[in-house]
Amino acid sequence: MSGTDLLLWFFAAAALGGGVLMLVARHPMRVALALISSMISLAGIYAVLGVHVIAVFQVLIYVGAVMVFMVYVIMLLDVRDPSFLERYGRVVVPAVALAAVLAAALAVAAGSGRIMTAEELALFHDAPVATSFGVQPFSAEFLDQYWLHFELTSVLLLAAVVAAIAVIRTGRRRDG
Amino acid sequence: MDRTQLLLWLSFALFSLGFVGVMIRRNALVMLMCMELMLNGVILSLVTFAERSAMLSGAVLVFLVFVVAAAEIAIAIPIVLLLARRRRTLDVGAWSELRG
Amino acid sequence: MNLLTLIVVLPLTGFLLNGLLGPRLGKSFVTVVGCGLPVLAFLATIRAFGQLDGAAGLALVESAYTWAVVGDFSFDIAFYFDRLSALMTLIVTGVGSLIHIYSTGYMKDDPSYARYFAYLNLFLFFMLLLVLGRSLLVCFVGWEGVGLASYLLIGFWFEDPAKAAAGKKAFITNRVGDAGFLLGMFLIYYALGTLDFDAVNAAFQGPVPPAVSASLVGVLLFIGATGKSAQIPLHVWLPDAMAGPTPVSALIHAATMVTAGIFMVARMSPLYELSDTALGFIMVIGAITALFMGFLGMVQNDIKRVVAYSTLSQLGYMTVALGASAYSVAVFHLMTHAFFKALLFLAAGSVIIAVHHNQDIRYMGGLKKYMPITWITSLIGSLALIGTPFLSGFYSKESIIEAVKISHLPAAHLAYWAVLIGVFVTAFYSFRMYFLVFHGKERFHQGHAHGNEDDVHHDAHHGGTPHETPWVITGPLLALALPSLAIGYMTIEPMLFGDFFGSAIYVADRHPVMHELNQEFHGAVAMGLHAITTLPFWLAAAGVGLSAFFYLRRPDIPAAIQKRFAFVYSMLINKYWFDELYSAIFASGARLLGGTLWRRGDQNIIDGLVVNGSAHLVERFSRLVKAFQSGYIYHYAFAMLIGVFALVTWFARLN
Repeated sequence: MSGTDLLLWFFAAAALGGGVLMLVARHPMRVALALISSMISLAGIYAVLGVHVIAVFQVLIYVGAVMVFMVYVIMLLDVRDPSFLERYGRVVVPAVALAAVLAAALAVAAGSGRIMTAEELALFHDAPVATSFGVQPFSAEFLDQYWLHFELTSVLLLAAVVAAIAVIRTGRRRDG
Repeated sequence: MDRTQLLLWLSFALFSLGFVGVMIRRNALVMLMCMELMLNGVILSLVTFAERSAMLSGAVLVFLVFVVAAAEIAIAIPIVLLLARRRRTLDVGAWSELRG
Repeated sequence: MNLLTLIVVLPLTGFLLNGLLGPRLGKSFVTVVGCGLPVLAFLATIRAFGQLDGAAGLALVESAYTWAVVGDFSFDIAFYFDRLSALMTLIVTGVGSLIHIYSTGYMKDDPSYARYFAYLNLFLFFMLLLVLGRSLLVCFVGWEGVGLASYLLIGFWFEDPAKAAAGKKAFITNRVGDAGFLLGMFLIYYALGTLDFDAVNAAFQGPVPPAVSASLVGVLLFIGATGKSAQIPLHVWLPDAMAGPTPVSALIHAATMVTAGIFMVARMSPLYELSDTALGFIMVIGAITALFMGFLGMVQNDIKRVVAYSTLSQLGYMTVALGASAYSVAVFHLMTHAFFKALLFLAAGSVIIAVHHNQDIRYMGGLKKYMPITWITSLIGSLALIGTPFLSGFYSKESIIEAVKISHLPAAHLAYWAVLIGVFVTAFYSFRMYFLVFHGKERFHQGHAHGNEDDVHHDAHHGGTPHETPWVITGPLLALALPSLAIGYMTIEPMLFGDFFGSAIYVADRHPVMHELNQEFHGAVAMGLHAITTLPFWLAAAGVGLSAFFYLRRPDIPAAIQKRFAFVYSMLINKYWFDELYSAIFASGARLLGGTLWRRGDQNIIDGLVVNGSAHLVERFSRLVKAFQSGYIYHYAFAMLIGVFALVTWFARLN
């Protein structure tokens, strides 16, 4: 196994571990930290793959904005919330069981060729990387072909800002 | 198994873990975080395919997904906060107005 | 010229004019229109009869208009005038006109004068449709229509609930019979595809009989006749029908409507000739009616009821004659009966007016010297009824008795004894009535019995001596007395043994009744003289003698017999408890059925089970489904997982 593969396996394990920790941890802060570690591992995977742009954006946007916001909110909250003490909802056992069964079934199906035939599976093997996923080619492609989408995202963000303000004002009005 | 298969399995695993987390955790914020985990799993598979087929448009799509995720979390968390303030708890078991 | 249509339309016009304009235009208008139009119809009938005379075999057929066309069957209103319908039409319009004239006197003080004449004309219209109809359909329209007119006229004074109930009883009982008639009609149409009398009769006379059970059709049609002609078991309406005005009783329940059944059977003679079963059935019903209704006539105290039961009994005689395949004899008796029975009813009406609407014969008596014309015509009528030789009733009754004697049907033996005993009974009750009313002690100052019609005719001199009624009343009495005397003598030979009816009536060769009657017939005079040696004559004489003895000489004997045979008397007074039986079975049965259907069917099943039950079911089901809607997000997420699971399983199976 080459070095990149080893790295890949390492990051994959880390991401998986972070995910499992998320399910098990009691304090939301620990859950948040587990998620952050998962995301950083994913960013690592992207970097190993050579998709540097996405790796950077993963860390910047997801970890740097989303998770930071989440951590702020968690810090604002009361420790004595009953949900801290009682982690799991009522469906924990049947849900986990069913999910396990489903996962196993899918795994077997995928492996045995029932979901896809061998030729189609063969397509999922490696292919040489032809393009570079650097910032320059990325932004050229983005602003060239997907200009409309860019504008639409700005509209979406505007809507999000308006919604956030509306939510705050509603909240404020309700609390008098 | 080679790289692509590994990454796809990982993506599936992250997605399932996130889904199970949504189902079993009682804290609303933790549920949101598990949803983020699901999203990450999907993004991983998207990136894998984009890299494999050497298409930049895949990367662009991933970027757009980031934007949407950010907007979504920006709204979801205040909503959860407001709900929590009403009931003075973050427990999703407290909210059952949709019953019946 | 459309004579037949004219004959039918004239009374209809009278109905419309009197009904719509009568109350406004006054009594004279109503009288002129109400009486004049039937008289015109009678004259038109004579004219049509004259036109028919030349060709005894052919008939006049007129088509008025097409009522409906369904597929290839066309329902036409058409009229058919052969010897049989000619005779009936003459009776209907002739006797009808006389009764209309009588009514102007009888109903002169009634506030609903115009309505009365409107209904009477309406009745005439429907009766003419019945006898002149070319097809069973038109006949049936008339059939139903006379039932309607009868209902309207019986319940004429409907403010009295008892009278209204009598009208309803008549109509409903008729309807039961009509069901049989309809079924018979359906069968005929199904088998032959037509309802025209000439076509139907030709088919039944032909070499190949149609593919339908003649017995079944015959019995069904006769059930209709049972209702209309008041045979047992559908006779219960006729005595109650005396609630109507007396002229109505005379016209409808003596001369015309009740004879419709007899007419119909005679009209369908080819059909009945094919079936000895039907003929036997007819004969049995007729015999039973003739005898047992006669018994009831012996104990009645209401003058109109005596005559009503007499009518029932005589209708039984006509029916027996039909059963013996002597159709012409039955129609002959129908004709003579129309005259003397109408006479008896009208005379009864005259008496009722004279004694200020007391109808109980126990409070009459000795009226002979106060009302000579009424007395003598009553006597003539009664003599004709019992079959006094040379009078009209004698010829027709004797012929019936002879015909039954000759008949080979299995029921004929029973029927012969029934009609024979009936002669005695008839003589007894008719002369009981005659003696109690016109002879003996004068009892009309005693007793305060209220008649049926005293609400209408409020007389100033209540309790004065009776006197003869005006000419407008006694004139028709005289006019009817003449045919009661003579018409039998004059017409027996051409009608029974001549070719009067021609092809209108058909008798099959295996029923040689008319042949054998013909062989024994040696002329009307000889028949009259020969009567002294026959049994019926002596039976009738014995009846008259016994009633004279009981009611003139020794009135205590009837009272003693009544006490001694109290059960028999009670059975007769209660009319064999037919009304009670029907009330218990049909009326209570219908109520029970209705009640059960209401409680079980409507309340329990429909309301409870279906309507409320389905609501409960929905509620229970929704309660089940409600469990899935817990409101908890994680439950919803779990449901999504299950959905994914299901989909994956399905797709995996598909592969």
